[in-house]
Amino acid sequence: MSKVKMNGVRLYFRYIRMNILSQTEYKGWWLSIIQVFLNVITDPISTILMFSRFGSIGEWTMPRILLMYAMAVTSFGLAECTARGFDAFPWRMVQSGEFDRLLLRPRPLTLQVAASTFHLHRLARVFSGLIAIFWCLVQLGVGFTPLRLFLMVWALAGGCVMYSGVFILTSGLSFFTVRGLDWIYILTNASYQVPRVPVEYMPRALKTCFTFLLPVIVISYCPASAICGWGEPLWKGLLALPAGLLFMGFSLGVWRFGVRHYRSTGS
Amino acid sequence: MKKMVRMLRACRSLFWMQLRDGLQYRMAALAGASTSIFWALIEAAVFRVFFLNAQGYQSALTLEQAVSWVWLGQFLFVMQPTMDGEIRKKIINGDVATELLRPMDLYAHWFARITGRRLSSLMTRGALCLGVGILMPAGWGMLPPASLWALGCFLISVMSAILLCSAYEMLMVSLRMSIAAGDAPVNALLLLGGVLSGSYLPLMLWPDFMQGFLLIQPFAGYLDIPARLYLGLMAPEGLPGALMLQLGWTLVFILAGRLAMGRRLQRMVVQGG
Repeated sequence: MSKVKMNGVRLYFRYIRMNILSQTEYKGWWLSIIQVFLNVITDPISTILMFSRFGSIGEWTMPRILLMYAMAVTSFGLAECTARGFDAFPWRMVQSGEFDRLLLRPRPLTLQVAASTFHLHRLARVFSGLIAIFWCLVQLGVGFTPLRLFLMVWALAGGCVMYSGVFILTSGLSFFTVRGLDWIYILTNASYQVPRVPVEYMPRALKTCFTFLLPVIVISYCPASAICGWGEPLWKGLLALPAGLLFMGFSLGVWRFGVRHYRSTGS
Repeated sequence: MKKMVRMLRACRSLFWMQLRDGLQYRMAALAGASTSIFWALIEAAVFRVFFLNAQGYQSALTLEQAVSWVWLGQFLFVMQPTMDGEIRKKIINGDVATELLRPMDLYAHWFARITGRRLSSLMTRGALCLGVGILMPAGWGMLPPASLWALGCFLISVMSAILLCSAYEMLMVSLRMSIAAGDAPVNALLLLGGVLSGSYLPLMLWPDFMQGFLLIQPFAGYLDIPARLYLGLMAPEGLPGALMLQLGWTLVFILAGRLAMGRRLQRMVVQGG
C-alpha cells in the first residue's frame, strides 16, 4: 500500500470544491449572489446621499471616501471567502459539539475549520468592491503604474489577513462564551464603516483604536493615500500587510489558548 | 367566541414567555448594546464632519437633531424585522407540521411570539443604548423630546411601529414558507425595508424629489415617523395621519401574510413520520 497523504493546500481546495458543489445543487442559488450585491450597494448609500446634499468637505470628495471604504469592504469580502468557516464556527461547531470530530482527524485544525464553509455568494462582495475601487481610481484621475497596482494588492492582502484574524479571534473567544459574542460585530461589519470618517476629522480615540488595536486605517487610508498621493509616505502604505499579519498572530494566540482549554459538551 | 378568547389568552402567554426569555440574557444584551453604541458613535462622527465642515450646508435638520436621530435609530433598530431564527429552522426542517398540531391559529401564534421577542430586545439592548445616548455630552447625545406632547405622540407611534414590524416579519415568514429558493429573496426584501426606514440616513436628508414617496411608503413607520414626532419635526397634530399610515400598512401586511400562509398550508405536504 502506498501511503497517500494529501497536503494541506490540496485538502483545502477539496473542501472548498465540495462546498461549492453542494451549494449549486439548490435551484436559485444565484439569487443569494444578487442579495449580497444589493447589500453592498445599499451599505454606502448614506455616504453617497450625504455627499450629494452637502457637497465635498475640504479635500474630501465622495470618490476619496468611497475608495477607502471599498478597500475595507473588499478585504472583508476576501477574508469571508478564505476563512468563512471561522466566522460561523462558534454556532456551528462549539454549540453543537461537532468540533470534537475535527480534533480526531490528523490534519491541521485551522485548515479544517477555515474550509468547513464556503459561501459562493460572498464573492459578490469582493467583485463589487473591486469594481468600486476601480471606479474611484478613475474618478480621482489616478493613473495606472506597476507600483500602484502592487500597493493595492499588498493592501488588500493585508486587509484580508486582518479580517481573517478577526474571525479566528471570534472563534477563539467562543470557547469561553457563545452568548454575549455580539460585540464582535464592532470588529467586523461596524469596523469597515470607520473609513467613512475622513481621518483628519476623526475623534482621536477612534483613530487610535483603529490604528493600533484593529489596524483598519492602516489597511485602507494609508495605502490609499500612498497610491493617490494625498500626502502619506510610501512606507506607511507598505505597513498594511505587516499590520494585518501582526493582528493575525495575536488572534492565532487566542485561538490556540482556546483550543487548549476546550472541553467538549459531550453528546 | 369562546374559542377566540382562548386563543387570545394563549397568545398572551406566548408573548410573556418570549419577553421573559429575552430578558434573561443580560450578557447578550450588554454585548449587543455595545455594538449599537459603537455604531451610533461612528454615525454621529460622520454627521458631525458633514454638518460642521461642508461648504454647501443646507439641511432640514440641525446637527443636534441629526445626532439624536442616530440614537433613536439605534434604539428602534433592534426591533426591525429579521427572519426569526427559530421559526426559520422550523420551516427548513419540517417542524411546521408539529406546530400545526397545536389547537391554535399558526399565524396568531407566531405573531405573538415575534412581538414578544421584539419588545424584549427593545427593553434590554435598545434601552441600554438609549440610556447611553441620553448621558452623552451635548453635540454627541440625544436631545430631550420637543415637548411633553411630542413624547406622548412618540410613544404611541412606537407602539404602532412594533405592530408594523411584526406584521412585515410575518409576511416574510409566509413568503419563506411559500418559496423554495432559500433565504435570499426574503433577505433582500428585509433589506429594502431597512434602507427605506431611515435608519441608514434620515429620510429628510434624501433627495428632495423623493420626499413625498418616502413619507407614504410603509417602512417610514419603522423609525422615521416616530423620530419626527419625538424631535418635533412633525407636529403633534400630525399624529392621526401618521397612525393611519402605520396601522394601515400593518393591516395590509397582516392580510397579505395571512393569505400567503393560508394558501401555503392548504397545499402542504408532510413527509416522513
